[in-house]
Amino acid sequence: MAATQEVARFLSDHSLVEATLKIVVVFAVLSGLVAYLVYLERKVLAFMQARLGPMRVGPWGILQPIADGLKLLLKEDLVPAGADRTVFLLAPVISVVAAFSVFAAIPYGPGGWTITNPNVGILLILGLSSLGIYGIILGGWSSNSHYPLIGSFRSAAQLVSYEVAAGLAIVSVLLIANSLSLVAIVQRQQQMGAWNVFLNPVAFVIYLIAGVAETNRNPFDLPEAESELTGGFHTEYSGFRFALYFMAEYTNMVLIASLAVVLFLGGWLRPFESVRWLSLLKYAPAAALVGAAVFVLWLGLKSRVRAERIFFAALAMGCVLLAAVVAMPAVLEAIQGVFWFTVKVMAILYAFIWYRATFPRYRFDQLMTVGWQRLIPLALSSLIVTAIMLVWTGQRLAPLLVANVLGGALTVLILSARQDSGRFRTIEGATR
Amino acid sequence: MRERLRELFLVDLLRGLRLTFSYQRPSATYTEQYPLERPPVAERYRGAPRLNNHPSTGETLCIACNPCALAYTENLIVVGWERTSDRKKMLTTFTYDLSRCMFCGLCEDACPVDALELTQDFEVARYSREGLIWDRSMLEEGPEPTRYTR
Repeated sequence: MAATQEVARFLSDHSLVEATLKIVVVFAVLSGLVAYLVYLERKVLAFMQARLGPMRVGPWGILQPIADGLKLLLKEDLVPAGADRTVFLLAPVISVVAAFSVFAAIPYGPGGWTITNPNVGILLILGLSSLGIYGIILGGWSSNSHYPLIGSFRSAAQLVSYEVAAGLAIVSVLLIANSLSLVAIVQRQQQMGAWNVFLNPVAFVIYLIAGVAETNRNPFDLPEAESELTGGFHTEYSGFRFALYFMAEYTNMVLIASLAVVLFLGGWLRPFESVRWLSLLKYAPAAALVGAAVFVLWLGLKSRVRAERIFFAALAMGCVLLAAVVAMPAVLEAIQGVFWFTVKVMAILYAFIWYRATFPRYRFDQLMTVGWQRLIPLALSSLIVTAIMLVWTGQRLAPLLVANVLGGALTVLILSARQDSGRFRTIEGATR
Repeated sequence: MRERLRELFLVDLLRGLRLTFSYQRPSATYTEQYPLERPPVAERYRGAPRLNNHPSTGETLCIACNPCALAYTENLIVVGWERTSDRKKMLTTFTYDLSRCMFCGLCEDACPVDALELTQDFEVARYSREGLIWDRSMLEEGPEPTRYTR
């Protein structure tokens, strides 16, 4: 009886039901996005290496993530001999929970497109996402194996180092926005009429580099360097627990990209909102769907397999229909914010994959040098310059931009001059 | 100074990014999807053997003269024949042991009537050793490459 009353009370409280629904939707979309991010990564990486990537499961390998997921689910969940069983089983869960729970505080669009809007949003996100490192360290330690242990230590050192630089870069944004709430940060950018990248490009670059490092991706993928540590902290994991780590990793990627978008790229704001004649950009969602339809149709025409041709034709039809729905003014207005947010996040995710295809891995001492001796001084100088300019000239675009770029350039020159004078202590012959 | 500026603006990294980006064009893809696409084979490639029939009459071109069998290892090719009433040789059986063949083409060169031919087909794998010994009917049908669809 009490339970039904409890349920009735819960259902009568609209905000709770709404929040629950939103959580379910965000979780579902995010899981799908993460699965297809893996597919996107394999495809883009393959094309950049003059290969085709997955091609055999479904047309153009489109069902590959599902097949991978099924495979991992059906595999045996091994626990190595001598492992700390409880910790070993719990560690990936910590990682994945930390990674997913953060998305409650991300604003996907204006108004109701957030789950919650805590007034300390950015602190909450940084705090929660840093908990993920416990999963990595505990997983590596409890495996009772050398490679995972080394991998997790590397991971801990790397995260601590780069969290500092990323934090400092974020602080300069907070100074400009004068708030810790993510919604307020985006609204501030709207009022200024300029995204924070243009106010402080140095901080953006620092955040992006530190973000790549925090997600353990190339060129900072030392914690799981295949050629050195077989698999890093998840070497001993198999089956579903490995899948959890994998999901946590890619969710973190999405998180870093989302944060970069909110903090520096104007969140849900449409580009050129103040320019009159570019209000045509409002129709970009429909145009994107039509573009997707044309692309899919082209794929279908190229295919020699009949089932594939039918599939692609149907997909193109679906895209066109969706475009027609999206082109309706009310719908267009509603999805405007979330569309631009997604586009920006995808662009940054693409850049992450692009880096992976291009840059070779750092050596560990180089990693530490870049973190402590380059990024942190640069972030500090950018923070100081931003603070001074905010007090001196107020929140104006041009002075902030010029001062930050000049300050950044000066800092880099000073840093490299110091390096040439040999005052940096590095391993013999490893000056960069 | 120039060196310094290159480092400052990450010129080398940007050039690397441009290179990898350009490789995404479809024409750069090097992969050949083998069962669906077949590689072009050289014109004089020597693959699976075939015993040619006359294109119009359908009778075998082979005159059972035996030089192909003599051209290479003992019993790789075994030609069986009978004498007809007017004492002409007539082909009865023809076996070809692909498991010992190294596709040198000596038998093909020895044939005076272009009956034996090493074709361009390269799919000669079989599930057993016995399957590699091809008899006359298999040789006359010639190789039939499997066409794969999904």
